[in-house]
Amino acid sequence: MLSLLRYGVILFILICLVSLSIQILRTFYYGKQGHYARPRGNWRRGILYAFGKGLMPWEKESARKHLPTYLAGVLYHASFFSALFYLFSLIIPFQLTVLVISLFRFLTIIGLLCGLGLLLKRTVHRYLRKISCPDDFASNLIVDVFLAFALANTFFSSIKPFFYLTAILLFIYIPLGKIRHCFFFFYVRILFGVFYGRRGVLPRDNIKSET
Amino acid sequence: MSEKDNTLKDPLEKRIESLTPEEITKALKVFRKSLDNQHAAYLNSCTHCGLCSDSCHYYLTTEEIQSLPSYKLMLVEKVFKKHFTLLGKRAPGFFGAKGLDKDMIREWVDTLFGRCTLCGRCFLNCSMGLNIPYLIRIARGALASISLIPPELQSTIDTAVEKGNNMGITKDDWVETIEWLEEELQGEVDDPQADIPVDKKGARIFYTINPREPMFFPLSILAVGKIFYSAGENWTLSSENYDMTNYGFFIGDDDISGLLSRRLIESMKNLSAKTLALAECGHGFNSNRWEAPEWLRKKYDFEVRSILQVVAEYIRQGRIKLDPSLNPKPVTLHDPCNLVRLGGIVEEQRYILRHAVSNFIEMTPNREKNFCCGGGGGQLAMDRFVQRRLRAGSVKADQIRKTGAQIVAAPCHNCIDQLMELNKHYKLGVEIKTVCEIVADALVIGKKEKQTS
Repeated sequence: MLSLLRYGVILFILICLVSLSIQILRTFYYGKQGHYARPRGNWRRGILYAFGKGLMPWEKESARKHLPTYLAGVLYHASFFSALFYLFSLIIPFQLTVLVISLFRFLTIIGLLCGLGLLLKRTVHRYLRKISCPDDFASNLIVDVFLAFALANTFFSSIKPFFYLTAILLFIYIPLGKIRHCFFFFYVRILFGVFYGRRGVLPRDNIKSET
Repeated sequence: MSEKDNTLKDPLEKRIESLTPEEITKALKVFRKSLDNQHAAYLNSCTHCGLCSDSCHYYLTTEEIQSLPSYKLMLVEKVFKKHFTLLGKRAPGFFGAKGLDKDMIREWVDTLFGRCTLCGRCFLNCSMGLNIPYLIRIARGALASISLIPPELQSTIDTAVEKGNNMGITKDDWVETIEWLEEELQGEVDDPQADIPVDKKGARIFYTINPREPMFFPLSILAVGKIFYSAGENWTLSSENYDMTNYGFFIGDDDISGLLSRRLIESMKNLSAKTLALAECGHGFNSNRWEAPEWLRKKYDFEVRSILQVVAEYIRQGRIKLDPSLNPKPVTLHDPCNLVRLGGIVEEQRYILRHAVSNFIEMTPNREKNFCCGGGGGQLAMDRFVQRRLRAGSVKADQIRKTGAQIVAAPCHNCIDQLMELNKHYKLGVEIKTVCEIVADALVIGKKEKQTS
């Protein structure tokens, strides 16, 4: 049974990845921008900025002004990706050291609290509620449940079948709902970097010698 | 007269009421056609985190949800999901999808035209990095396809298309204005040979202007003429197709935008010029430097530069001499969104001002992080939203006041109009000038040999 669930998780991971890739490729069905204008800056440097300094609170005003939410988001996403890593360690499988497991537990507890905090904020904040749809709440809850089972599994191995089931549920939902932004994020940040990089806006010294 | 009566008399409201299902389908087709891979990715990626709120001057000054950038994006996203995604069609309530009906169109008009200057500050501050203003522009384009542009904005575009410039200036008036400015230039530089060339073939620079200049601010053309004279530049104006503004940009109509930009290309070809130099106008720069090649799907075989790049080059090369003590008053700088955040002209104006004035004070925040003045995105042409525009401009007014400057340098005629209104409305007591006007005031001029090459 456990072995079957393990293969089920692997199957749904693959389905999820294929589905997300198709969604990215499908965006090109809408047509591709040509970039006919002569670039002023280097788009590669723009992409580096987009994934580095451009995400930092001292560079991004929205992060700086909403520091608790920003940090909660960072920790929530970090714990989500570490839970995925933990899941992979079980299904591949490979051994994690006690130290890594301890760090994972710590990060997951923090991440889970952050996730629930963000869910609470979305529920009680009038404007956030207004710009939210049920998918926003469901996405948060599914990830929270996944994190909770990942954490529980580090203490009680008997939980494993349920952890695998929540993982399957998660991988079914990712391509359908908002969680797919974790995948789109990388694509969209590349677009952000190319935009500002080509135009020589960011990073600040990203201008070919013109003047 | 009641508010309801006013609403019913509004031509836009009448138009919305008379919309047929076929027209709504047409708008959807235009919306779909305008989307490319980037837009589709953006529309799949908003997390509704709301962190963009403080980046918008409309939201900061009203705290109304309709002014929240993610709310504006959500209006576009809802329609995209409902009409172009499988799950949005099957479970619209769960995935936040909603069809384009008259209510949604009404909200699009009020919010996407009336609460956005397309300044891109939300784009810069978005957690994901979604280009919200470009999505709003696409939605505006869908509205434009069914004649749902605020009539005041539409009339500016009609004038530009029909008369060749957005102020409807006749060729005779334009040429006469240049002749008058040429006489002024000769007097100012004390050189009867000084000229403002028109339709000069083979000039290195073809200089284009914002038609508000000959109409209301002719001295800004004179200032540039003085700089060109001082640098010994081989330049020209054109008697036709000299309008570098592009209001098609504001209504998301790529055909009209392309038509207006193509006119400048025609002039470039007719004059056999090497460089298309754009006057101090933010959206005109963004349109012609970055967007027009995309609208026309054409790589230009000539350079497109802001006049600020040209002037900065003159200073660097020692082609003009400036005496900053001639501008002793404290000067601050407004960064026009389309020129700076979306256009990439960030340091040139600073380099110029550091050489042209004695006391240069930066606003906070500045450069690409600067706040919009509130006059962009076609707002200045849309009288119906004037109160919102002035209120949104209070962020800029506060920025200016905090610098303690007496002069605001604004390298954009659109921004200048808004800043002049803010100056009056918020009693700022400042002078507002273009960067070139400030440079012209600091020029140390000797008589020049005319460059004829």
